[in-house]
Amino acid sequence: MNTAAIAISLDLINRHFQEPNRNRYESRYFWEELYPLIAASGFSSIEIPYEPVWQFGGRSGVPFNRYCVNTKYGSAAQYRKVLSGSGIDRVTGITFDPNLFMRNANLDFYFGATGHFANEALAHAADMGAQYFAISPSPFYGRIAQYHPDLESMQQAFTDRTIDLLGGLAAKAGELGVTLVLRNEYWSLFGGERILPLADALPDTVKLDLDVASLFVAGVSATAFLEAQIDRIGCVHLTDTDFVDTHEVWKTPNPEFPGHHATQIFRDPGTGSVDLVQITALLDTLNFQGPVICSARQTRDPFRALLRTRAMLNQLQK
Amino acid sequence: MPNIRYANMSHWKTIPYKKIDNFRDFYYEDKTNSAYYSDWDNILKYQSALGFDGIEIAPWDLADILPLFGSPENFTAFAKDRGVTVIGMFHGAHASHALDHFDEAVRSGREAVDTIVQFGGTYMNTCPTQNYYGTGPLSREEVQQCAKVMNEIGSYATDHGVKVGLHNEFFCAINMPNHRELIELTDPKLVHYCIDTAQISILGEDLLKFYDDYHERISTFHLKDTASANLPDSVRYAQDPEITDDGTRWFWEPGQGELDLKGLYRLLKQHEFKGWMSIEYDGSPDMLASMAMTRFYLDNELRPIYD
Repeated sequence: MNTAAIAISLDLINRHFQEPNRNRYESRYFWEELYPLIAASGFSSIEIPYEPVWQFGGRSGVPFNRYCVNTKYGSAAQYRKVLSGSGIDRVTGITFDPNLFMRNANLDFYFGATGHFANEALAHAADMGAQYFAISPSPFYGRIAQYHPDLESMQQAFTDRTIDLLGGLAAKAGELGVTLVLRNEYWSLFGGERILPLADALPDTVKLDLDVASLFVAGVSATAFLEAQIDRIGCVHLTDTDFVDTHEVWKTPNPEFPGHHATQIFRDPGTGSVDLVQITALLDTLNFQGPVICSARQTRDPFRALLRTRAMLNQLQK
Repeated sequence: MPNIRYANMSHWKTIPYKKIDNFRDFYYEDKTNSAYYSDWDNILKYQSALGFDGIEIAPWDLADILPLFGSPENFTAFAKDRGVTVIGMFHGAHASHALDHFDEAVRSGREAVDTIVQFGGTYMNTCPTQNYYGTGPLSREEVQQCAKVMNEIGSYATDHGVKVGLHNEFFCAINMPNHRELIELTDPKLVHYCIDTAQISILGEDLLKFYDDYHERISTFHLKDTASANLPDSVRYAQDPEITDDGTRWFWEPGQGELDLKGLYRLLKQHEFKGWMSIEYDGSPDMLASMAMTRFYLDNELRPIYD
């Protein structure tokens, strides 16, 4: 595998959870110090999570949406110049999840806000020169159930509206030259192999994400999934975990923090139980040429995670 | 019973767990201090141990607290078991200056009051409208409209046992030219005032004179220090000025800035203030250290003046 082309996701920075020194993540200086460190750890491309929340409340130091980028840099083009000057040549992809908008019983609000900001994020992805826009097609299953206890009975209606939303995004993505990719996190209404009927209902241009840790948590074989779906894999996330969900944690409101037993679900790449050597070898065997991204989300130390990830990738080249 | 009781405004970012039963295992997973900041059980115990027996929550906490605890009442009971009372919640009265936003601003304010009642709180410190940038300067009619909304929310709050306190940020569209105008336009029986010691000083008010002038309207305080009093218009009216690009902090723990907090406490004694004072640590890189630092300063410098 050509590890030089592998991107790192900026989701390794903990924006949302308490820890000492977290506040610095909201200031521009932090990110502009980070980019050269990313390059120094051998990554010249990044993936950016699109997070509308930073638009609200004046937190535009976090460069994770169009408003923030325009506020601090004037335009996506100017921001890309700053990245380039720091050794980041490419924004490989943009991700988007709609959890922010599942906050009440009003589905019109959820679909309205998700549609608005997902479209904005997709356009931003094009402005950033990204290859793909990877969207989580549902919020946490348990977060939906929190506000919609009748989720099981309204699942088809929810799915139909999701298909409408994604269909619109697929058309726009085609016009913009960006590949629309569906994520299938273990906590999603469309997690694991539950993503397949949703993908079948959309145009062939819509691809699937392969997030190996998420499949591991769900008890799904990543290699089997990859072999079966290789023709429609749009991007691959090399993620790691030690966790297998045996308590239906995926159905809880906080599925990335199992209430019955605290654990860091997503481990720094190379420190968990996922066989990343096997999966990358299979990608080579299948001649996968799409984008590959390392993600160290939930890391407790982003700078150690960068080097751990590089150390793991170095092992792949041996 | 002391005249002043101390609370913390909750500036914790998302706390993902209620209580971690497998604390040692969780710590050993990566041997960092993340485990110490991951459950409400410990966060509330830190507060209680340091003598802060109240917590003022923020509306942006609700999306995480409610799924975690199931209801406001459950959170309140959980906090009470650890010696902490929910005293209220912050509220932002977005666009209250806009005539066509009256119904929405009042509805949103009433809903926030209802939420506070569910938490068992009695204070709603309220930013009167949004940021100056993109909104200000407000016309006299817009300030009047803002006051109308505050009076309406204040009336509902009073009927439900909640005190609304105006809380002005230094970057709010209600700013130095109309700060006192808004206060004067509101009904003192329905709308009170929460002095954020740092915010109003940065705004350009003289802290001691402002308190002296309005001491009868003061419901609560947000106590924090600043080394940046009287910031110029160019900063206060700028886009997104609260979080600076270079990491400059506007807010500091009491005693780490330049405000005359001892002078304030002498005035509190003179006016016999009784009530809650929330400490704020926004901008702190280490909330627990800030709490302990503040407790020492309170006990050794401020409480000897007035307790």
